[in-house]
Amino acid sequence: MTFYAETVRQLRQDHYPNAQLTKQIIQAKRFIDANFGEGIDLKKMAGAAFYSKFHFIRCFKSLYGRTPNQYLTSVRILNAKQLLLTDDSVTSVCYKVGFDSVTTFAGLFKRMTGTTPTEYRRRKKQFSRHETGNLFGDLPLNLLNTDT
Amino acid sequence: MKIRLTSVMVDNQTKALAFYTTVLGFVKKTEMPIGEHKWLTVVAKDEQDGVELLLEPIGFAPAQTYQKALFEAGIPLASFSVDDLDTEYNRLTGLGVSFSMSPTQMGAVKLAVLDDTCGNHIQLMQVL
Repeated sequence: MTFYAETVRQLRQDHYPNAQLTKQIIQAKRFIDANFGEGIDLKKMAGAAFYSKFHFIRCFKSLYGRTPNQYLTSVRILNAKQLLLTDDSVTSVCYKVGFDSVTTFAGLFKRMTGTTPTEYRRRKKQFSRHETGNLFGDLPLNLLNTDT
Repeated sequence: MKIRLTSVMVDNQTKALAFYTTVLGFVKKTEMPIGEHKWLTVVAKDEQDGVELLLEPIGFAPAQTYQKALFEAGIPLASFSVDDLDTEYNRLTGLGVSFSMSPTQMGAVKLAVLDDTCGNHIQLMQVL
C-alpha cells in the first residue's frame, strides 16, 4: 500500500462520520439532483435524510463542503447552462430549473458564471460555430492542430 | 482572472498524448511545436471548451526529483472527475491500466489512483 493510500485509509477511519449517516446525506444529495426543478426547500431536503434542518445542514456541509442550499443553487445553474444550449427562452429555463424569479435566476447565474444567461447562450453558439475558445484567443483549432 | 489551463509533467509527450487520448478518453485540443517540444493540450471529450490540460515535458532536473518523490509515495499529481468510478475502473483495468488504489469511498466521494505511464499517479474521483 502506498503512503497516499494509507493516508486515505487513516482519514476515512478518523475523520468521517459513520456509514449510515453518510448514506443518509448522500440520499438527500441525490434527492436534490433528482428534484432541483421542483419547489424543494430545506425542510424537504432534510426530510430526505430523515434529519432536523439544522443537523442536516451541519452534516451536509461536513461531507460536501457546501450548505444544501448552495449545492441546490449550483445544480440549478449547471442544468440551466445545458438548457441554454437549446431553443428554450431564458424565462422558460429559469422555471424549468426550479427558480421562481427571473431576476433571482439572472443574478445568481451571473454571480456563478461571470455572465448573464443571454450572453452565455450567445457565446456558446459562437463557440460551436467557430470552434474557438482556446488559449490562443480566436484562432480556429484547425490552425493550431498540426496534424489536421 | 480565470483558470483555463492546468498541467501534468510527462516524461514523453508522444507517449502521454497516446495514453491521455486513447486510454483515458480526452481529446487533443492544441499542438504547436516549440523547439524540441510542443505546446500540447487535451480537453474532456464532452467539455471541449473547458479547462485544458497541458502535457508538459519534464526537462527541469529538480522537477524530475519532485515527480519521482510524489510517484513513489503514490501521491496523485492531478485529479479528474468521473460520473461512475466503478465502471471507469473496470474499463481502464480491462485496457491494462495499473491502479495503486482501487475504488475507495471516503465520505461522500469515491477515489481511485492510477499510473499514467508517464511518471505520475492520477486520481479519479466520483462525487456520490
